[in-house]
Amino acid sequence: MKTRLLALGLGAAMVLPGLALAQQAPAPAWAQGRPDAMSSSNLAPHPPKMTTTPAEQVPVSALRVPQGFKVELWASGAPGARMMAEGPNGTVFVGSRTIGRVYAITEQGGQRQVRTLAQQLNQPNGLAVRDGNLYVIAINRVLRYDGIEGKLDNPGQPVDLTEAFGLPREEHHGWKFANFGPDGRLYMNVGVPCNICEFNRDTHAVIISFNPDGSDRRLEAKGIRNSVGFDWHPTTRELWATNNGRDWAGNETPQDTLHRIRRSGEDHGFPYCAANWRDPAITTGPAACSEFVAPAAMLGPHTAALGMRFYTGNAFPAEYRNQMFIARRGSWNRDQKSGYDVVVAKTDGQGNVTSVEPFLTGLLDEANNRFLGRPVDVLVRRDGSLLVSDEQNGAIYRITHGN
Amino acid sequence: MTPVLLAAAVLAAAFSASPALASGDAARGAALAQERSCGGCHGAKGVSDQPNIPSLAGQQAEFITLQMILFRERLRDAPPMPDLSQGLSDQQVEDLAAFYASLPPGAPEDRSPQREAYSQAGARLAERLRCGVCHLPDYRGQAQVPRLNGQREDFLIHAMAGYRDGTRRGTDTNMNAVMYGVTDAEIAAIAHYLAHRP
Repeated sequence: MKTRLLALGLGAAMVLPGLALAQQAPAPAWAQGRPDAMSSSNLAPHPPKMTTTPAEQVPVSALRVPQGFKVELWASGAPGARMMAEGPNGTVFVGSRTIGRVYAITEQGGQRQVRTLAQQLNQPNGLAVRDGNLYVIAINRVLRYDGIEGKLDNPGQPVDLTEAFGLPREEHHGWKFANFGPDGRLYMNVGVPCNICEFNRDTHAVIISFNPDGSDRRLEAKGIRNSVGFDWHPTTRELWATNNGRDWAGNETPQDTLHRIRRSGEDHGFPYCAANWRDPAITTGPAACSEFVAPAAMLGPHTAALGMRFYTGNAFPAEYRNQMFIARRGSWNRDQKSGYDVVVAKTDGQGNVTSVEPFLTGLLDEANNRFLGRPVDVLVRRDGSLLVSDEQNGAIYRITHGN
Repeated sequence: MTPVLLAAAVLAAAFSASPALASGDAARGAALAQERSCGGCHGAKGVSDQPNIPSLAGQQAEFITLQMILFRERLRDAPPMPDLSQGLSDQQVEDLAAFYASLPPGAPEDRSPQREAYSQAGARLAERLRCGVCHLPDYRGQAQVPRLNGQREDFLIHAMAGYRDGTRRGTDTNMNAVMYGVTDAEIAAIAHYLAHRP
């Protein structure tokens, strides 16, 4: 027996050196589209943190906001905290990716209580609230918790709408941002299942909407690589969306972008064009970017511009009214780290973006090229305060103005 | 000047990845590992002598922490670990990770003799698959990417096949993509090479 095993082993040893890999392995998604010149780059996605960061270790003292504003730690102990949605009674629901949880945060007597509402889900990043019901969108799953704020301690089994929505199954860029539009429809993104590739442009790199029961799918925008944040202008009702540009095209290329979607179904150019740059990795398609809708603003290369909301409250100075707060989670595919902040994009009366300015800073230590936290979403509460989720610290900050 | 520069470099390295790292306490982790009998399978000194059970000595603390959370949250199905990790607090997980990361790595006593040509074939395949980009060229791993040197050969085969066959994934799906289409014979050669690295 031993001899036969040994002989087999020897046989394998003699055969293998001449063997090519049976099938050329595709690069992992984060490495696709990487030129040979960058093959030895040691840039790689930063690890997630799935353990609780104690409140005293959350880097709130490093945070900076413009004069007149105040930032404080609002809640902690929610590892992986990402997208936020507020219920009619003020509960803040928080989604996540790797840790698979949905949290519910309530306030009582100035204290916040963090509950884990759901767990063991596959990247439940998309949350939306309608008529007191919470919609949770994981990869390929849509769940509805009816009357959720009346049963936070015992949410029970949700209504499973997965089949009705029929979402694509791809994991990569398959996590969702979701929200209800002013038309009462449920909007969400479907990202591209690669870094840069050719794909079905009507099913991926899109923003789509449905009736709340999953019927009547409609294409809202195409050619948007992966939007993990969008909102509607409070007066014009136009849809605006952030977008993540692709990796491995250099430290400065392409920029992440902000898109203004004036008409349902508009084409914003990916994979051919990104940030007005014709991507040479795609040899088919139009030669120039002029036939696509141009981005409304540039949001910085590799900054990971994600959650975005118009400021609709009355508690901030008038100059912030109807302007966009945008969370930038921060870069991995860039030698000098960038992002890790919240910016405000301001528009003129015609809806042209006139500036993109820092608003919440301090989480990026440029001198040491390290980061202290990763802002993923912003949420305007009914009292006019702005919440910011920090995925890396499992924390939520609250920004107020004046006393 | 040199000590100052060195200190700065060490500091920079310590903070280069994510914040609030290494909050585990190795001594508390050692006591907890004793209490929970982790060594019964993973070896008293973190070097496993049981088939398909990984060695943990010298493993990256962040990797251990993340995998333990995946077990506890029942997001990674590898019996009996999901059951055994129930009730562990985040702090306990980080303590266990700090303990195992602090132990000197070593080869299992039942390691097979190295076959030179077979190892070289595995080395070439590992280079071709660019394993060293994330696991680093000396395969000591970094952060959420595990150390591979001296790991049990059978466990490496089990892990790589699991990624290829979709029965396992990490905190992201990169390993699933890397292992796509790699044959059993190729996996075995890579495992033999890595298992015999010091």
